[in-house]
Amino acid sequence: MLLPKFEFHEPETLKEAAAILSGIGEPTSILAGGTDLLVNMKKGKASPRHLVSLGRVRELKKTARDGESLRIGACVTVAELREEREIKDDFDGLFRGAGLLGSPLIRNLATVGGNIVTARPAADLPPPLIAYGATIELVKDNGERILSLEDFIKGPGETSIEPGEILSGIILREPPLYSGGGYVKLGMRKALEISLVNVATFFALDGPSGPIQKARVVLGSVGPTPIRSLRAEEILTGERPDEALFEKAGEAAANDAKPIDDFRASAEYRSEMVKLLTRKALKQAYEEAKLREWRRWK
Amino acid sequence: MTTYSTVNSRAPRLDAPDKATGSAVYIDDIRLPGMLFGAMLHSPLAHAKILNIDTRGAKRLSGVKSVVTYEDTGLIKYGVSPARYDELLFCDGKVRYVGDEVAAVAAVDLETAVEALSLINVEYEELPAVLTMEEALAEGAPLVHDEYQRNIGAEVHHEFGDVESALAQCDLVRTDTFRSKRQDAAFIEPQGCIADYDGRGYLTLRSSTQTPHYVQRTIAMVLGLPIGKVRVVKPYVGGGFGPKAAANAMEMAACLMSMKTGKPVKMGFTREEVFLHSRARHQFVHTLTTGVKKDGTIVALKNECYLEGGAYTSFGIATIYYAGSLLGGPYRLQNMKYDGYRVYTNKPACGAQRGHGGVIARAAWEQQLDRIAEEIGMDPVELRLKNMMEAGDVSCNELKMNSLGMRECIEAVRDGSGWKEKKGRLPKGKGIGMACGFFVSGAGFPIYRSDTYHATVSIHVSEDGGTVHVYTASAEIGQGSDTAFAMIAAETIGIPLDSVMISSGDTEFGIDLGAYSSRQTLMTGHATKEAAVDVRNQILAVMARELKVDISELDIKDGLIVFKHGGVDFSRLRARYIREHRGWQGIARGNDPLTFQEAARIAYLARGTIIGRGKYKPAELGGSHKGAAVGTSPAYGCSAQVVEVSVDMETGRITVEKMTDAHDCGFAINRTSVEGQMQGSLSMGLGEALYEEVKFDEKGRILNPNLGEYKIPTSLDMPNVNPIIVESHEPYGPFGAKEVGEGAIMPTIPAILNAVYDATGIRFQELPLTPERVFMALRAKKQKP
Repeated sequence: MLLPKFEFHEPETLKEAAAILSGIGEPTSILAGGTDLLVNMKKGKASPRHLVSLGRVRELKKTARDGESLRIGACVTVAELREEREIKDDFDGLFRGAGLLGSPLIRNLATVGGNIVTARPAADLPPPLIAYGATIELVKDNGERILSLEDFIKGPGETSIEPGEILSGIILREPPLYSGGGYVKLGMRKALEISLVNVATFFALDGPSGPIQKARVVLGSVGPTPIRSLRAEEILTGERPDEALFEKAGEAAANDAKPIDDFRASAEYRSEMVKLLTRKALKQAYEEAKLREWRRWK
Repeated sequence: MTTYSTVNSRAPRLDAPDKATGSAVYIDDIRLPGMLFGAMLHSPLAHAKILNIDTRGAKRLSGVKSVVTYEDTGLIKYGVSPARYDELLFCDGKVRYVGDEVAAVAAVDLETAVEALSLINVEYEELPAVLTMEEALAEGAPLVHDEYQRNIGAEVHHEFGDVESALAQCDLVRTDTFRSKRQDAAFIEPQGCIADYDGRGYLTLRSSTQTPHYVQRTIAMVLGLPIGKVRVVKPYVGGGFGPKAAANAMEMAACLMSMKTGKPVKMGFTREEVFLHSRARHQFVHTLTTGVKKDGTIVALKNECYLEGGAYTSFGIATIYYAGSLLGGPYRLQNMKYDGYRVYTNKPACGAQRGHGGVIARAAWEQQLDRIAEEIGMDPVELRLKNMMEAGDVSCNELKMNSLGMRECIEAVRDGSGWKEKKGRLPKGKGIGMACGFFVSGAGFPIYRSDTYHATVSIHVSEDGGTVHVYTASAEIGQGSDTAFAMIAAETIGIPLDSVMISSGDTEFGIDLGAYSSRQTLMTGHATKEAAVDVRNQILAVMARELKVDISELDIKDGLIVFKHGGVDFSRLRARYIREHRGWQGIARGNDPLTFQEAARIAYLARGTIIGRGKYKPAELGGSHKGAAVGTSPAYGCSAQVVEVSVDMETGRITVEKMTDAHDCGFAINRTSVEGQMQGSLSMGLGEALYEEVKFDEKGRILNPNLGEYKIPTSLDMPNVNPIIVESHEPYGPFGAKEVGEGAIMPTIPAILNAVYDATGIRFQELPLTPERVFMALRAKKQKP
């Protein structure tokens, strides 16, 4: 397993990185954690002529609060993400997703940004990030733009990133009072798993016990991209959270899923699991909402 | 009771410092001056005629030193068992699976070699392929090998007793069919090798192998070299589990290209090539019919088995025999019939893997016995206690139990797991199950018919005394055999373990058939012990003469010479030793006891270098029917296991919560290593039960040839294991020792199956128990009226 030949660039600032990118006229890949890219290069599935490493760009490795928002640098590793107090306290769905990605060794290398731009349908971070309404920052030599993560991922391995652009950060708004999120992943074994199905949820309640004011249900590994289940969200909105409602939402989510048969699992099984995992992830979200409320009073 | 100084302890592994610090040298770490790098061209098609191979482009590429195809090799067929030599180093007329070897290249670096492969132009004419047993056996199916009709490469038909009339007299007869999936052994180190042909015509092959001796013979045969001019050396090896127990085409290609270029040639498999080469566990389909009396006595067993073999036979002849011959044990039954068929397909060849041939038969039968126990209203533990063999028993197919701690194993897991409190009392979704196992302790015969010794060992005593060096051609592949043999030598001679050096895995060190069939502890252990006794006797004979005492008065213990009745004046010998070490510190003086170091030096001065020699081959073993050679062994290990599982009734996902395992290894040379083998076996069994399957697309290409998608258990998936060592003191084993390396896997799959039944009420007749398979069965059960 040999890496193909490539030119290696190691900028120290984001500005420098953007300048290098805009100056290269040949196929280029951005190297962050490398847990996906280097494997694909060794397999011959990717053969960029240039690699621009973000390993030395320190500004991409920080998580910082900015008023009501939390900005996660794109090169924060998945292991580091789990160490952030805000993530632990207010973004349980994301915290769980980060804990289920790969193995400890992979989490030490893999970055949040990398898990987004690779756009794998079974990835662990995009569903909870979308459930929390994350937006992302894309920077290039002559400007930047901000767009919602949901609109960014287009298909397996496909995003709306443009040549010369770097994903620099992910922005999460602090969840409102009386809200919570959840994430449930199903694989065969306990680590090093590619999701057969995963579901991320988020909802905000009108008051301590409802009704649900706003809900997001995101299904992973059952379509070319993470899928928002609008039918499930519609069922949830305006209703008081309980088991029966979650079950109805699960049924609805299965109708929005577009699973396929592959060697990992059948579409039929995946569809059944969407129902179940949606219900479980909604239950988690409700538990977190209650826990956050309790913590506030403590 | 005998007390031991070294054996039966928890001595630290001799290789631990090297491995813990990363200084252990594996093939990949070795670089030789002027070394070339080789790569192999594999067939991209499952079945095709080769119309033409054009290597001109590759040969023209700068840096390429050798390009070889069948035109360079001659057409000498090889394989594992001489009964089925069906492989060529490189394909000549056709390719038989995706991955079949077509050509090889050696170049100044790996990049160039890989580029050269892309410049070899092979013209194929695609042929229809057979990818499943059903397709292969169908009327008029394409033939993988023209000489084997219906693609049946081997078949076995045995009957002991009279099964049909025995079944007619039974109170209960059950027939069940059980289906497993093709496995990969998933060892951590892919195969690799370096061939080095020197100016005098001697070939040295360093290889990641389990069997230096068989590799040496095969290479000599295929490349037409005298065996004495082929040396095979095994550095540290990262696991084998079976697939490394025979020569592979890569080793031969490296040798051939080294001979052609006069330079060392290094080659190594990628992980994908490990899957393509395969030689791991077959897919088995067993149909078992068992008849019992209503008191639980097992009367008869009918076993029909189909094995999906892939494109070549590899170990398959042995596999198909083992799948029948090992099933009856550890139970006493008088009637057994076996019909086995190994089927060629256009897929990578299957071979041997831990628990060779017996694992799936065992899984199928032990689950069926559980069903039978339930139907006659008997506790599964009691059913097994009622039928098990004991020491002294001979099975209906003439396997002789000289020791068998079956009862101790069953009772140990019953009591160690809380079976009585838990069985039938766990809540829905939780279950407990038990099963037994049985395996050979070394194949009774070499893989080629021969009167050869199975192991020879020599022990050289250093001329300055004090340390000894054990030379054995056996293969330490991570299981701890070097440590075991050093412990046997230390104990036998009577010196501390740190006075024993061991060198192994080199065909220059003698004959050893290698690490397969769980043979080394018993067989190489015997030879080591014999060599150590020889050393001891030579040294004590000199002592007896010099000190004018009877040899029976002398002993060696913990590195000191013991005079059983005291009163022996050895001051003359001591003075002589001290005289030879003028100025030295730390040597025994005055009235200190006489040391082994002094004795060994005196013995050297009297007789020259002291070399002890040992050898082993099994005594005459029973069985005169055709195929009796497979399954006979000087000793048999046995085991019992209780597994507890939880089944997520919503997703179908199974978690193994606890495993209690008892294994009769005869006598534990190293208790920690025995437990390590038990733990490793259980992990492999757990993976095969729950996750593992090599999957193919409709063109015969592997869909999951990597350890991301071929799922073996992670450390998180392994529960706590309670390993219980049972010691039945095998009369034909060194210090009473017999196998643990493979037999320990036997009960794992059926114990899991039986526990899953206890949790769900469902009997699974197909592996692996993926969440999806379990979910679908749970749903079907719920929907049934």
